[in-house]
This record gives sequence, structure tokens and C-alpha cells, in this order.
Amino acid sequence: MKIKSLLIANRGEIAIRIIKTARKMGIRSYVIKTAKEPNAWYLEEADQIIDFSESYDDVIPEFLDIERIIQSAGKHKVDAIHPGYGFLAENPDFARRCEEEKITFIGPSHDAIYRMGHKTIAKELARENSVPLLDGSQGALSDAEEARKIANKIGYPVILKAAAGGGGRGMRVVEKEKDIERMFTLATNEAEKAFNNPDLFLERFVREPRHIEFQILGDQHGNIVHLGERECSIQRKHQKLLEESPSPALDSALRKKMGEAAIKIARSVNYYSAGTVEFLLDDDNSFSFMEMNTRIQVEHPVTEMVTGIDLIEQMILIAEGEKIPFTQKDIKLNGWAIEWRINAEDVQSGFSPSLGTIEKISWTENEHIRVDTGVRDGSVITPYYDSMIAKLIIHAETREKALQQSSMAIRKFWIKGPKTTLAFCRAVLQNRNFRKGKFNTSFLSKELKIHYQNEPDEALLAAFFATYDYAREMDENEEKPLHTENGKAITPWVLKKRLR
Amino acid sequence: MARSAKKKKTTKLIALSSTNKAYEFKKPLQKRIKYQGEEVDIKLHEDPNGFSYIVWKNKKYMLDVIEKKQNRYTIMVNSVWHSFTVETPVSLKRKRFLEKQGDASSSVSIEAPMPGKIIDILVEENGEVKEGEPIIILEAMKMQNEITSHISGIVQSVSVKKNELVMKDDVLIEIRKG
Repeated sequence: MKIKSLLIANRGEIAIRIIKTARKMGIRSYVIKTAKEPNAWYLEEADQIIDFSESYDDVIPEFLDIERIIQSAGKHKVDAIHPGYGFLAENPDFARRCEEEKITFIGPSHDAIYRMGHKTIAKELARENSVPLLDGSQGALSDAEEARKIANKIGYPVILKAAAGGGGRGMRVVEKEKDIERMFTLATNEAEKAFNNPDLFLERFVREPRHIEFQILGDQHGNIVHLGERECSIQRKHQKLLEESPSPALDSALRKKMGEAAIKIARSVNYYSAGTVEFLLDDDNSFSFMEMNTRIQVEHPVTEMVTGIDLIEQMILIAEGEKIPFTQKDIKLNGWAIEWRINAEDVQSGFSPSLGTIEKISWTENEHIRVDTGVRDGSVITPYYDSMIAKLIIHAETREKALQQSSMAIRKFWIKGPKTTLAFCRAVLQNRNFRKGKFNTSFLSKELKIHYQNEPDEALLAAFFATYDYAREMDENEEKPLHTENGKAITPWVLKKRLR
Repeated sequence: MARSAKKKKTTKLIALSSTNKAYEFKKPLQKRIKYQGEEVDIKLHEDPNGFSYIVWKNKKYMLDVIEKKQNRYTIMVNSVWHSFTVETPVSLKRKRFLEKQGDASSSVSIEAPMPGKIIDILVEENGEVKEGEPIIILEAMKMQNEITSHISGIVQSVSVKKNELVMKDDVLIEIRKG
């Protein structure tokens, strides 16, 4: 069935990303307006807005309110719902409710979401299909005591993970036996809060692995292909900071082997739509299955750049019941792509969120640069959602050229307002081992000693500017400037907000 | 008050960084400063998009004032921030003197590294803490973070309660060295 309209149960850059493809395909897009972001950019890009901002319920956040979203979709007679990432994207009940109401869910079956969402079931499927796994608990742990017993058997360090988890939450590494009880409590509390499910499992902790994931695409006729890997090893506390495709660690033989394992996993749940199979890769090229994400990923653009395939378009076509228009042989990885996540975070204070108004944002454009963003001048980074400002995606013929282009693009990416991770991106780019492609998930804690790059002259220039400004005010003396508050000049954006 | 009579012309200003590095500039400020023996031009610009930048040795540096409170400044240069207090020679002398006295007292406060919610407090007043020991669980951006003590000592006071929301740099706990 052709999809003529779709509701995006999401916000920010991914909402805009989906709208772009919908527009290209002649599909009418609907988005949800919330009281938390009533002036967000994605609202203007969509064809129609469904307003949730009037009577908002504090108990269930808007993008998690399954029944309200389903009802609105029915009322507006939309054909399909795209969940984006996060929120309800991996909630099997949401996919099931769509099915019951005859709304096409642009994603996999609720059964596939359920089975891959439960990490213990997913691991069991991997075992049955002889995909390599790490030693660990079978099924959920009953308590810290059981965790201790298993950990003592397989040896430390071990990692505790939320059975319903993802995104680094509900995860704790345990180095020594004496810490296991405390870490168990921390992880289970976090899991309960984040996923409404306190269940944990445990596995051997590989100290310095690479994090490699494979993009999968399957249709409803049993065809499954992989679109190569993404290198996601540069992380902080399990949060990805940049991704590339391909990975400097893989050759075509290993790619083939891991790709086939990824397809096996997907096939075990008759997977259709776009999905991602995550692996840990050790120094000796041995790999083990971690989990499958049953949705579009934040870092999907790097795969799009090297394969030339619009993943959102494929998701929509597959949801309509179309067959994948290519086979594994047709898929070629062309060149090298890197995605730099630019977040509103204070790198100099442990990456703490730096909220506020984006007064100005600008970047240069050329054929190597793609920017996916949900913000523009005047947008607000709120405490309600993630701290992402933009994804800067660079595509070139080789990794070396992609790094060169990255340097230039990052230098010319200017943001006025919040503190950002741009200086972190520069620090990574300057690191010799990163440039050589020699790194793993311990890169931030071990290799990159200073998490931001700054030249010695910059401190001098800052000192000069502060002194210059102070001296000017001293001279003006009693004449206080009009539009200041706590000494900080009020920008037009803040004034505009107040006047409303 | 004979304010004007008392007022002495300040001949220089010093930007003192948070790492205690002093940058001295002569008054009135020239847009040409001495640097490693040579004089270099500083040009302040504003581009059509409204960004401020300095041109220094033929390179552009984007500038932004992040915070400004009296003589306290946080300036961003190429997305790295630097904090300063701008001092006169007299105020700098006074500041240094006060700091020396401050060192004598041996209480240290543990501050929130980021805004968030207090999930748990793992120590009690008058209890002993060791360096590196977790003292508070702070939830921020849906992650639970352990705040650890960077000194060993006795807990002098606990300034927060369970479930309380705190801002960055709020004092959580004070510890007496020992």
C-alpha cells in the first residue's frame, strides 16, 4: 500500500531528516508540537502540525504517549508513523498498537522489536545461530549475589547491563569483587528509571575493544542485506561522539564475516526495515555480538554517504511492502565518511550539558559537507531533550582526505551561545593515533589526555578581550549600558522571548 | 566623600586566569600588543552574520563573551572558554593577600560538576571519607553519576537533601581535611 501521509513521532534533526525524504517522495508529513519547544524548527518544515502543547500531561511526556499519538494519527487519518530514534522507536507496544489500528509502522515487526529489545533473548538467539558471544549470565540476574557468583567464575572485570537497555544507561563495569554489590544497585536503579525494567545481565568485560556496528536492511519478502559497518569506538561513558564508515580496522574478509553474522541475527527474527547489529571487536579480530538496535540510528548518515542509499526512503518503501531494489553484490562502499556530533556540552567541565539559546550558527558548504541539524539562529537547547546541536558529516575519497576536510569544516563551524563539543572534535583530529586509525573504546580515557584543543595564543587573546572590555566599561564609568542583566548583554533572542 | 581626589590613574590592568596565570596590559589599551618580544596587531571584527572575531597573526579566532559579572569574565575563543578576573595592580595585591590567608583554613567543598538531581547521599555529618570514595549519586541527563571526594577527611556539613535539584557548582558537601 502506498503511503500518502506520515506522522513523525519525534522532534529535532531526525524529524527534519524524515520530512526531507517524505517531501521527495510526495508524502505529506505531520509533526507534534509540544509546550517544551513551541518554536522548534521542525514544526515549520512539516506540512501539518498536531498540537499537543495546549493540554499537556506532565505524567507521560508527549513523545512517549502511545495512546495520544495513535489517537491523533487516527483523527488525522495518516497512513503511517515513523518513530525516528529514541522515544517510542524501540517500544514493541507502540508498533503493536499501530498494527491494531491499521496504521503502518515504519520499522520492524513488534515481535522483532520485543525480542531484540530483551538483551537476554537476543543473546539466546545469537547462541542458537552460532554467532559469537561473550561469556556471561544466561538470562536476567536475580540479585547481586548471583552476579557475584558468575563474575567469580568468569573472572574480572565484568560488565553489568540492563536487559532492556541501550544508550549506555544501566551499565556498570565492575573491576573487583568488593564493588559488585554497589554497582549492581546503581545499574539496577538506573535501568528501572530509564527502561521501567530493573533486570540486569552480566558478561565478561573486554577492556579495549572496538565498537563496530553493521547497518542492515531487510524487506517483508525475506531479503536481507548489510550496508557495511560503522566505526563507533570514540565514546565517552558509552555515548558515541563520532562515527565513521568504513572502519579502519576492517578488511574485506572480516567485513564479509561480520556482515554475514549480522544478517544471521537479523534473519533470526525475520527482520525487516532498517536495523543495526552491534559487535565488539577485539585486537585479534575476534568479534562478539552485543545487541541489535531495531530503528534508524543517529549515525545513519555515514552509511548513506558511502553507499548512496537513502535509508529513510528504503524504510518507507519496505513498510509499503516493496522489495529491496538491490542485492548484496550491488552494494559498494564508496570513499570515507565521518560524522562529528556537535553537542551543547561543556567539554572543559566533564561534558556537562550547556543549555540555552543558539544565538548564531553557521558553517561552510561544499560537496564534501552535509549538516543534519534541528536548530537555527534563535533555537533553544532545553533540558527536556538531548543536547545535540548538529551532526557534521564529511564525505571524501579517502580517510585522509575526509580528515583534512573535517579540519577545515570544524574550524569554520561557528556557534554563538552555548558551549559546544567543537574543541573536542579538534582535539581528536589532532591526535596522531586517531589519524592513523589506531584507537578503541578506551581512546578518551587513555589516549586523549586533554579533551579539547586550544592553542597557546588563544588564552592570551581571551585575556586581551576581557581586559579590553573591562577597560572600556571603566572609561564609560557611570553610564551603565541599557540592555544588560547580571552584566551580560541581553540578546535580541532573549528579549524576543520575554516580550512574548 | 572626596572620591575624585582619592582616585589614582590606573596605568595597567591584569587579567588573572583561573589557573593563576597573569596577563598584563598597559592602559590605555592599544590594539597592538607586545608578545614574545614583538608587537602584534589585534583587530576586532564583526562578520555579517553577527559573529565577533579577532584577527591575530593572519588567523581568525571566533570570540564570544559567555559570562560577565563585574570584573569576572568567561571568554570563548574558538569554542574553548577561559575565565579571568580583571584586576588593577592594587586589587591584585589584595587578592593575593586574601588567598594566602584562605589557605590556612583547611575545609574543602565538593561542588556539583553538572546540574542534576541528588539520588543518594552516601556519607553523614562527622563521618569519615577517604580520597576517591563516592559521596553522592547525582543524576544528570538520565545518567547516575558518582561524585567522589578528592580529599580524605571528616564531613563537616551536608548542604543537600535527597531528591533535591542542584545547579552546576552548587556546594554539596564540606570536608575538613585530616
